[in-house]
Amino acid sequence: MGLHAKMSTEPVSRLKLRPALRVNPTSTLREAIEVMREGQLGCVIVADSKDRPAGIFTEAMLRNLMASGTPPLAEPVSSHMAESFAWVKETDSIETVLDGMEEKNVRFVVVVNKSGKIAGLTGQKGLMEYVAEHFPGEVMVQRLGTEPYPQQREGA
Amino acid sequence: MQPVSAIQAQPYAGISPDETIEAAVRKLSHENVACLLVEKDGQLVGVFSDRDILNKAALEYDHVKDQPIWQVMNADPVFVYDTDSAAAALSVMAVSGFRHVPVLNLEKKLVGIVSPQRVCRFLREHSQE
Repeated sequence: MGLHAKMSTEPVSRLKLRPALRVNPTSTLREAIEVMREGQLGCVIVADSKDRPAGIFTEAMLRNLMASGTPPLAEPVSSHMAESFAWVKETDSIETVLDGMEEKNVRFVVVVNKSGKIAGLTGQKGLMEYVAEHFPGEVMVQRLGTEPYPQQREGA
Repeated sequence: MQPVSAIQAQPYAGISPDETIEAAVRKLSHENVACLLVEKDGQLVGVFSDRDILNKAALEYDHVKDQPIWQVMNADPVFVYDTDSAAAALSVMAVSGFRHVPVLNLEKKLVGIVSPQRVCRFLREHSQE
């Protein structure tokens, strides 16, 4: 089965979902940034008391805030989050994530379970990992790092 | 798989290593991109991204915004050559975990940058496997 055919039939739960970092609506921007730094993730999900996503705050939103000056670290993150964000159900097809990325350059997609609670996070990185699995013989043998291929043959 | 040169690598957003962090933040925002290629005389000398802002500038912005970006950029970014297999760019993203991959030619001159969005477009156009 081809890659795109697989994407249209396999569910989002087939992706390696990443644990979603969460903050409360009353958390400050500083706290949200600290959570993102500690988790080394480019977003936090602002979750309500029932662990449903109420919004998202990303490092791109942080950068845009900073383009206007010093970020207001003491303000609640909910004042700066996006209430409209990309999300999918675990049972949706992977193609849904691909479409969001291709059409709107969505980087993060919140994954929810059938109860609407946060199940994890996926997005561009998860999709690249999935695509790479489709081409293991080519992807896993590539030179990695910052050094070029040797210019001279090694050994005899 | 076709070479990296078959994937769209331009336009890209570049910046001088002597520009300030504040200027870089504004450029990222204005261009609406997540990553700047830091270049000097056509050579890639580093990468400055949203992640650098998060990790090194967000909580201490007033103290660091006037610093040149060469002090905080990733000066050793993973790159690919335009003659490498497109799988090399995918490998950097999936295995090394960098979403944006600078592309150089064999003379080590900067060609552009490959993003996940560009890779997916390439796969849709070229992979019917």
